[in-house]
Amino acid sequence: MSWRRLRTLVLREIRATLRDPFTASILVAVPLGTLLLFNSILTTEVRHAALGVCDATASPASRRLVAELRAQGTFDPVALRTRTALDEALRRGRVRAAIVIPPDFDRRLAEVGRGGVRPEVQVIYDGGEAVLAANIEGYLNAIVARVGAVLVDAPGGGRRPGIEVTTRVLFNPTLDGQVFMVAGVYGFVFSFLTVLITAVSVVGERLAGTFDQLQVTPATSVEILLGKLLPLGAVFAFDVLLMALVAGFGLGVWPRGSLVFFLGVSSVYVLVSLAIGLVISATSGTASEAVQRSVLFSIPIIQLSGFLFPIRSMPGFLQWIVEAFPATHYIRVSRAIYMRAAGPADLWGDLLFIGVVGVLLFALAVRTLGARA
Amino acid sequence: MSTPTITTTGLTKRFGDFTAVDALSITVPPGVIFAFLGANGSGKSTTIRMLIGLLRPTAGAITVNGIDVIREPRRVRDRIGYMGQKVSLYQGLTIRENVEFYAGLYGLAPAALTARWSALRERFGLAQVELEKPESLPAGIRQRAGLALATLHQPPVLFLDEPTAGVDVESRGLFWDVIQDEAARGVTVFVTTHFLEEVDYCDWVSFIDAGKLVADATPEDLRHRFSLGYRIEVELPAAAREAGARRLRGLGLAGLASSDAGFTGRTAQLDGPTLAALDALAVDIPEARIHIHQPPMTDVFRRVLGAEPSP
Repeated sequence: MSWRRLRTLVLREIRATLRDPFTASILVAVPLGTLLLFNSILTTEVRHAALGVCDATASPASRRLVAELRAQGTFDPVALRTRTALDEALRRGRVRAAIVIPPDFDRRLAEVGRGGVRPEVQVIYDGGEAVLAANIEGYLNAIVARVGAVLVDAPGGGRRPGIEVTTRVLFNPTLDGQVFMVAGVYGFVFSFLTVLITAVSVVGERLAGTFDQLQVTPATSVEILLGKLLPLGAVFAFDVLLMALVAGFGLGVWPRGSLVFFLGVSSVYVLVSLAIGLVISATSGTASEAVQRSVLFSIPIIQLSGFLFPIRSMPGFLQWIVEAFPATHYIRVSRAIYMRAAGPADLWGDLLFIGVVGVLLFALAVRTLGARA
Repeated sequence: MSTPTITTTGLTKRFGDFTAVDALSITVPPGVIFAFLGANGSGKSTTIRMLIGLLRPTAGAITVNGIDVIREPRRVRDRIGYMGQKVSLYQGLTIRENVEFYAGLYGLAPAALTARWSALRERFGLAQVELEKPESLPAGIRQRAGLALATLHQPPVLFLDEPTAGVDVESRGLFWDVIQDEAARGVTVFVTTHFLEEVDYCDWVSFIDAGKLVADATPEDLRHRFSLGYRIEVELPAAAREAGARRLRGLGLAGLASSDAGFTGRTAQLDGPTLAALDALAVDIPEARIHIHQPPMTDVFRRVLGAEPSP
């Protein structure tokens, strides 16, 4: 081995790397960004989880219990008047957990000190996100027990748990993680693979010269865009069906909601995601740059979109940011259909977002494809 | 006078501080082969991309086949054929499938396509390879296939950007035959090339340097203005030298001098009277051998660019 040759080769590689601003910046930004981001999202702490409260007694004691739940910053109580409203809020995903305080709460609380039966509150939570659900249950039980002990004036000055908690898990009673993961995998596959597949399509054609040729034909930008989107969209829509059937027959995981609705939403989402890939491709100078950009774009989105890590555990500002990702909404929709049998009426907000972003991305892609320098 | 097929007025394209094309004004009459020459980076491709509506000019005006390209870049597209530096054939599709693809974009009906393609594949020598994929074909055949695609919809104007780059000499000759055929049918051909000898296939030459038009004339006129002229060598038997010398002096050849075999001289222009006189010499002195050497275009353009002084 010649050290001189090795030195020459190494110096050239360093020079080439440092002179490429894109590569140089990702070499620094990605490790630091990942460290800071994962420090924030890889936490099991429950913060500001939406908690439905159906307080049938509305007494000072019950209000104190609710105030304590709010005071820790763990839960954001949402008052719900009836059980029906509470069930609806859970089904629509407006709240992740709920607490039902019965009408005899005060009376039984007062009797505990005299040897009476302890009052009972019911805790209901969405078992969809198994890890988060278990954490929510743990936090709720702990806070209710602590507040119960304070509220009950036990004889002899001693304190014992003053409130009985019964729990009911909705949608995924066994806290089985498989349904949660299967429903999320669609989001992963159709956010990452679609962008990656389309990333080189336009830039590849540009480099081959066929894109210029295409642009001087009477074909419009909309036709060129649809000509690229529709065939790939059809293939990916078929993939969705294939995955749903394999998940159903192979793993026993079927959507509790409408399979047709799920396929329809997924097909639209696939087109949205393909449009993102096309925009990346049309604005990249080389195929390798397009691939780098699509990977750098897709991976954080997938990691932050709730596929692996619960959004509710992320810092507040991050929760706002991830709401801008179509993947976040699609994964939410997918899980809602699979686990809560949610329909269009329950998911209209997420569906509207995906639709609006789709239209905007489509317009951007048309503009990018038809742009004259 | 017929309406020009292509006109540009003050056409300018700037990329930041760099001016790629600087106030270019050219006129291309219908049915001519118009060569647009220049060194690499001189602004040829930028100009052609503006002419076909792929690039928006910074300033100036463009009209192609009566259409304002800047205002209506889309409208011009079904009236032009374009062949870029990279032949725009889809790999993985056969030549025939490529043809069907582009025919679909131009809205050619199946019967019209069959008739058109039958004619094109014979003219362009593609009948044997129409079921082959471009990646398995030599560059010369790919170029011809690219030109066939550009002419598929019978456009009245053809834009060819370095069409013979990377093609062997024989294929280039065949390619130019086809281009001349197109021009003979009334198609206006705007072609960029850096093979200066190809200028002789063209009716008109514009030459740009650093984005500016530096010459704009017929090839013959450029030779007249920017070269030492045609070199004429006349071999004569010893007995006919005196008579031959008298005839050649009468032609007014510049720098007429005797050589071992006869005489050499130069004429600025190979006009009718000069050719007639040489013809008469050959008839009167059958042993005479006349050689006419055209001034190489490379010399012409060196002078155009000022690397060598004009005579």
